[in-house]
Amino acid sequence: MTAPTPAPDRVTARASGRVLPSPVTGQELVLIGVIALLWVALTIFTPAFLSASSLQSLLVRLAPVGIMAIGMTCVIITAGIDISIAATLMVCAVVTAKLLTLSGMGAVPVILISMALGCFLGAINGLLISYGRVPAIIITFGTANIFQFIGLRIFNSQTVNGIPPTLGFLGPGQAGRVLGVPYAFMLMVVLVALAWVYLRHFPGGRHLYAIGDDEQAAELAGVNVRRHVLSAYALTGLLVGLAAQVTIAGGTTTLDQSVGRGQELATIAAVVIGGTSVMGGRGSVLGSVLGALLVQTVATGVTQLGWPTQLANLFVGVFIVVAVGADLIRERYARTSV
Amino acid sequence: MNTETREDQTQTPPQPPEKSGPSARLSTLGRALLTNRTVLLVVLLALGIIWMKALDASGYLSAPYDLSYMTSSLVNLVPLTMLALAELLVIVSGRGGIDLSVGSIVSLAGMMFGFTYGMWGWPLAVAILFTVGFGALCGLVNGVLVAYLGFPPLIATLATYYAYWSLALVINQQQPISSQPVVDLYGLSESVEITGLKGIIPGIPLGVFIFLLPTVVVVWLLISKTSYGRKLYAVGTNDTAARWAGLEVARTRAMAYVIAGAVAGLVAIVTVSQFASARPDAGTSGNGMALPAITMAVLGGVAITGGLGRVVGVLLAALLIVLLNAGILLAFSGNAGSQYQLLMLGLILVGAALLNGITMRKYSGSNR
Amino acid sequence: MPTQPPASRVPDGITRLSLTGISKRFGGVKAIRHADLHVMPGEVHALVGENGAGKSTLIKILAGAEYADTGVINIEGKEVTIKSASDAIALGVATVYQEAELFGQLTVAENIFLGREVRRGIRIDWAAQNGQVVKLLERLDLPASYATRKVETLSAAVQQQVSIAKALAEDARILILDEPSAILTDLEIRTLFAAVRRLTDEGVSIIYITHRLDELFEIADVVTVMRDGQTIGTYPVKGLDVRGIARMLVGDKYSESASNRAERAGGEPVLQLAGLGSRTDLHHVDLTVDAGEIVALYGLVGSGVAEIASTVYGMNPVTAGTITMDGKALSLRSSSQAHNHGIALLPANRKEQGLFSFQSVGFNIAVGNLPLLRKARIWMDAKRESSVASDMIKRLAIKTPGPKQAVQNLSGGNAQKVVLARQLVERPRLLLLTEPTHGVDIGAKDEIHRIIEELASEGTAVLVATSDLTEAMRIGDRLIVIRNGTTFTEFGPDASQADVLAAAAGQLSAEQERALALKDAS
Repeated sequence: MTAPTPAPDRVTARASGRVLPSPVTGQELVLIGVIALLWVALTIFTPAFLSASSLQSLLVRLAPVGIMAIGMTCVIITAGIDISIAATLMVCAVVTAKLLTLSGMGAVPVILISMALGCFLGAINGLLISYGRVPAIIITFGTANIFQFIGLRIFNSQTVNGIPPTLGFLGPGQAGRVLGVPYAFMLMVVLVALAWVYLRHFPGGRHLYAIGDDEQAAELAGVNVRRHVLSAYALTGLLVGLAAQVTIAGGTTTLDQSVGRGQELATIAAVVIGGTSVMGGRGSVLGSVLGALLVQTVATGVTQLGWPTQLANLFVGVFIVVAVGADLIRERYARTSV
Repeated sequence: MNTETREDQTQTPPQPPEKSGPSARLSTLGRALLTNRTVLLVVLLALGIIWMKALDASGYLSAPYDLSYMTSSLVNLVPLTMLALAELLVIVSGRGGIDLSVGSIVSLAGMMFGFTYGMWGWPLAVAILFTVGFGALCGLVNGVLVAYLGFPPLIATLATYYAYWSLALVINQQQPISSQPVVDLYGLSESVEITGLKGIIPGIPLGVFIFLLPTVVVVWLLISKTSYGRKLYAVGTNDTAARWAGLEVARTRAMAYVIAGAVAGLVAIVTVSQFASARPDAGTSGNGMALPAITMAVLGGVAITGGLGRVVGVLLAALLIVLLNAGILLAFSGNAGSQYQLLMLGLILVGAALLNGITMRKYSGSNR
Repeated sequence: MPTQPPASRVPDGITRLSLTGISKRFGGVKAIRHADLHVMPGEVHALVGENGAGKSTLIKILAGAEYADTGVINIEGKEVTIKSASDAIALGVATVYQEAELFGQLTVAENIFLGREVRRGIRIDWAAQNGQVVKLLERLDLPASYATRKVETLSAAVQQQVSIAKALAEDARILILDEPSAILTDLEIRTLFAAVRRLTDEGVSIIYITHRLDELFEIADVVTVMRDGQTIGTYPVKGLDVRGIARMLVGDKYSESASNRAERAGGEPVLQLAGLGSRTDLHHVDLTVDAGEIVALYGLVGSGVAEIASTVYGMNPVTAGTITMDGKALSLRSSSQAHNHGIALLPANRKEQGLFSFQSVGFNIAVGNLPLLRKARIWMDAKRESSVASDMIKRLAIKTPGPKQAVQNLSGGNAQKVVLARQLVERPRLLLLTEPTHGVDIGAKDEIHRIIEELASEGTAVLVATSDLTEAMRIGDRLIVIRNGTTFTEFGPDASQADVLAAAAGQLSAEQERALALKDAS
């Protein structure tokens, strides 16, 4: 009845060109510039900044936020948000710490358990949001409390002491790096690269953008919106489980219940500074990682300059305003050009 | 593409079918509970108190859950309800309105109060006015970002949350201010007996009368009796239609954030008096004050999409949460009490949100 | 003098698409009484009809959004059932609406293949997919570089073409274009027509819906006319002219000047527009409205009719010309300023621009009149609010259990009355109405028209901007046709509907129109 589809053929070099918008956006280039400027300035004022140990510890501290920012980016691209990751981090961290301390489990099983646990908690969010049809901010506010309860009960008002160095290869110490580059940082880079490829070259990744742009139209176009949204939150939880490992590795031999405090906001700040829009449909993990790097640079710089550490938050607040503001202006102009 | 016709139907939208018999009575009750948030909250409040009393009678509680305990726990009601009313204003204003920064405004304004009253010796009334005005200024930043510059409220108030939090910690090198004038303010938090009701109703914290009640009255008057209130609901329901009707959308929305900031400034004074010290982490310790405030608002029937929400609902929701929190503290010993409070708060928030969603879809027919 | 329409075409050979005996009823309203449509392969088949004639319902049935009560659909001679949008697409029937339903933040290529990405293994095969996209773009004479552009950076005209490309990608053999030219400039229309011709050369059949009758002679092979829920017939375009089609569209009705408005017009000029222009929509708009007069502005959707009203209301910036009110030049930059000058406006789209859906009737009426209903600039006068609400409910005969009812529970007509009531609490000096009875039942329509006439008799200057021809002719003391963003010609109370329609939709010059108007009046 209908004519047969013409067989797909390879396109000539002339016609192909770039298949997607530029891999690096203007916002990200500006970020790279700002970070470079900050690094130069910090090196001038505190030469210790550029020392190996200082950089290594910066990269290791960057890793958890960077890893979590991957999941948060996916979630925010779908026009959602997840305020519960700090609580999920706490649960995964305390479970990991107890397993390491009490049962002497090896690194691999403990990592897998943590990721599975995180994935499970994330899936709870995903189910409530995709099937409950309620704004993500409220749901994850609520689950943040519930997960925090779970974590605090496991802590039982005690710190976990004597954590063995099983996860040391993810830490800032000698065991945690090769050729001077921390494993944790490399892990983050690998994950970011994988996410980058997925979001740009796989249908599932592109569908996330469609959902954030216009959920109803995506549904009509045959995209399984519920499954994608559920996966985004489950993935975030899984990555949080992984970030928990790095967090434990980067700490001391004790773990107390303040672990993860404020990390959800730090992650959201990183993603937003990186150019991902909370309205959905737009964003990249590269920007989010750069945003995380900026936030971490500010934190490290403030400490090394001897300023009060809380001042870092002020700068983060300002950066959020500037980054989002620039983004808003750019969007307004993009829409009017032809 | 979708099955709705593009033009308006000429018939009225279908109402849920009428049934008869006992199932009808049950479904009418169900509908009343779902659509009338006030009724639901009163029912939940009654159930909650009954449950606590039952636990008390069975000996599960570490202290009696009696009237005097309940009224003394109202001291927690004061700051949180006031902030919940601030959130009410901001959320009703629409376009994803929310204010994550109220807790940090409390901290920062509290420090300013500590400076002016506790260290520079300003008269109390002037210091109070200044603090409230300072809070309003903090809110104005939010208002300008959201209403005039088009920032998503979540992001704007996230940024100001960071900024005010760090400023509060930095301006006095993380030290609280506990000078004598400040310590003397503790009297504001004590409980008072109401003359005439002595022996019947035990002491109610003074703060309820001098801080909470005036705020409740002012906010209630504002949203239900003034033209600003009408504008606020209009802008939150449909800001395009508001523009066509001749209303100034940006100004109305920004004002909501300003008032929220002012209320946070007043809460700062409450917390200073409760702690007898101006603490730089007053509003930001633990999970901060914004979360319970938002929970109370959502439980109280405030729609997160804007245009809907009533003071009485928020008040009842706050009462429910505070009383349940107080009961939980008795049911569990040690730190477990505060942990179970978290669980309850989270479950309530998720449940309330799901409930709001079902109610809107089922009974208002609107496609939100 | 009316001529007999030619005989309806009988299709010979296998049709690409045949609808026979279609009827559809919504509740008590019969949207389609009897429709037949036969589309041949490779032809441009125009479908015309006034609002309410049944066109949109017929298209919805074809697109799978509605299901017909009776009738048969055949494609290439075989009977088919279309129960959903995906059914339609699977059968090769694609619809392109005015508002492109594309994802602005994704590229053209992604939009075309969303959900059906060309893959190599589990990854997207960009090269192959792009190749197909470029081929599609070439069929529509679009540059290959568009494949990688974000859709939101493209103009509305190009986005429309992308929608067409998407339809082609899904192997559409029947392409329905729903009023595509309404949002296009002349140049863009040429491009569209070229693309259409290219497609028909390839054998695609196009169903082209339009109100612009003059377009038919450029692009269509045949035209099917619908009126009052029926297809009147299908005619080769060659044997017709615009006025002939217009006559078929309106039948033999001549306008009924509603009621006997004895005291019409005669007041001093209230509103004068001279050379009015706005940034994108309008240019050289000249008109006057006197006190007590009802001036109807009639034009096709997209002709600028609604924009004139919103410009006078201060919601659309003026870039040329003047607005004069009671002799004083006005420079309005906001609706509240317009209010201060006694100008009220009923917005075109009540759901988006007029109603506060889950608020009460009383709220909806009061919200546009806050300065009037408050004391000391702050406190609402509750008593006055409720008495005003009850007064307006009575005066406009709004069917509601009471002023506390949420407006979203009211029928379309009553909701419209609520928005109208908001404008009438204080009698405006100038009342602008945009599409006042769109989506309103007959009874409420009559009532709203009566209210408008009462207002005029009390001295208000009324401007009704509408794309409903019957309404314009019925209610206007004078009717001004708006075309291409400017005032085109004026008709008196005795004009014929067909002439007015032809003027708005046709190719006659202004002089020819005036000559016709005079001839009809004599």
